[in-house]
Amino acid sequence: MVNTESQPNSGTNPLAMDVQRVYVFGGLLLIAAGMLFGDIFAMFILHPNNARIGEAMFAASQLVPEGDVDGIMAHFGAIGGFLENRGTKVDAHSHAIHVGYIALLLAILQPWAFLSSGTRKFCAWLFTICAFLLPVSIFMIHYVGLAYSPWAFIGWASVLADLTGGLLALVMFIQLWGLWQGRDGNTSALTDRFGSGGEGASKVLLLGGCLLLACGFLYGVGYAAWLQSGTAVAELDILKPMVEHAAASQQDLLAQDFANYGNYQMYKAINVAAHTHINEMGILLLLLSFVQGLIAYGEAARRRWAMAAAIGAVFLPVGILLEIPYGFVGSVIADTAGFVVIISLLAMLKGLFAQSGSAGGQS
Amino acid sequence: MSAAQRILILTGILLLGSTMAFGVYYALFDEHQTLVGMGVSMATGFAEAAKGDMVAAHASLDAYAAISAEYRSEVHAHGHWGMLSLVLIVLGISFKRLAWSEQQGLRLAWVLALSAALFPLGVLLQIGPAADIGKLLTVPASLGMVLGLLAVVWGLVRKA
Repeated sequence: MVNTESQPNSGTNPLAMDVQRVYVFGGLLLIAAGMLFGDIFAMFILHPNNARIGEAMFAASQLVPEGDVDGIMAHFGAIGGFLENRGTKVDAHSHAIHVGYIALLLAILQPWAFLSSGTRKFCAWLFTICAFLLPVSIFMIHYVGLAYSPWAFIGWASVLADLTGGLLALVMFIQLWGLWQGRDGNTSALTDRFGSGGEGASKVLLLGGCLLLACGFLYGVGYAAWLQSGTAVAELDILKPMVEHAAASQQDLLAQDFANYGNYQMYKAINVAAHTHINEMGILLLLLSFVQGLIAYGEAARRRWAMAAAIGAVFLPVGILLEIPYGFVGSVIADTAGFVVIISLLAMLKGLFAQSGSAGGQS
Repeated sequence: MSAAQRILILTGILLLGSTMAFGVYYALFDEHQTLVGMGVSMATGFAEAAKGDMVAAHASLDAYAAISAEYRSEVHAHGHWGMLSLVLIVLGISFKRLAWSEQQGLRLAWVLALSAALFPLGVLLQIGPAADIGKLLTVPASLGMVLGLLAVVWGLVRKA
């Protein structure tokens, strides 16, 4: 077992070790790429895809009075494809960001994980490679399908996604083992302040992140309580009248049912997206607060990018919620806020690269 | 690393590894079948209506709602374990910044760690025979998470 005493400053600088740099740069790239993909997905794919699902469902309902069962099944087969297209993109977006967050946390925790340098390096590269392959393979599931697969229910892209997910879990258990081994051995204080300077920027991000997380949890609790209260419309209360009105060819009532169903889906999607984005932005701000001292900018520039990240993080979920009353305007606010966060993230990444380069030059 | 930090970080890493393993198991053995079941039930609801059998149509839609609730619970449990474990680790790293005594910090760490582990478990249990226990678990666990987080914010503000 090797501890980190041979790695100077590794406890106060998460870029001190090679493996920490692998985690940090991999993590930041994954977060930025995942957020950019989410913005592109929301703008160009999500809304047209939802419209296609609604159209196919309406077309199926029009075949009910004619008793065309094969036609109905064909339309629902198409809906399955649209749902898979949407689901895999949402999953690719969220998994890229989450594994990026985990990579940053593993970078910070490395000095407290008692692992040999070979195991440490192996874990860092295995984690980073799998962390990139996981969202890419999830994205590919819809396009690869069952091509060349020997199994009737799972394609090669799914197999790759499961394999990389399993390897990521393995790395986590190795890290847990290392942290457990080192629980009493390393008595140095675990800190969230790395490098020097950037206290103002760090405080903005820390408080903003904690407040966002508290708001995200309260929002989730409130939404769940509303769903359980019985005042929220249940999906079945729309679907059952829908098939009855379709069978009776009552087109006016059927149109009203589809309008209600569209609203139901919209409320559900927006509420879930707002809840998850508040929490994810909260975590991101907290993570960014840790590394402000390592960014090679002056205090004013650090504070400016921190403020930009915090403002973007607040307005992203606000924009998502504004989609309920204002539709497209809300989407524009959310996407713009998302871009502001991405730009501030890339600016901080550039500052980290500059710091890392200068540290490498000195050594 | 203090005792409170150890509780938060080790629980967080354990939950992360476990929820990743759960995600892989779920994707391999359950998710595909559940999604197909949802689609078939809803399509059958419309097909039975086309045949004029409204009782069978409603039964199929009821089956769709039940499978849909099961899918939601499974995905929510996976997602919440992942997100809450990140929160535990981040709070563990930042714990020195809170203006709480060692004893208070230890209590707060246990509340957060137990809430983060039990809330998604409660969500998952709601789809099985222990649904009532699941519902009972989610209430104190979600309350513990919210109050714990507000205590963290208060500890930060006091220190500032």
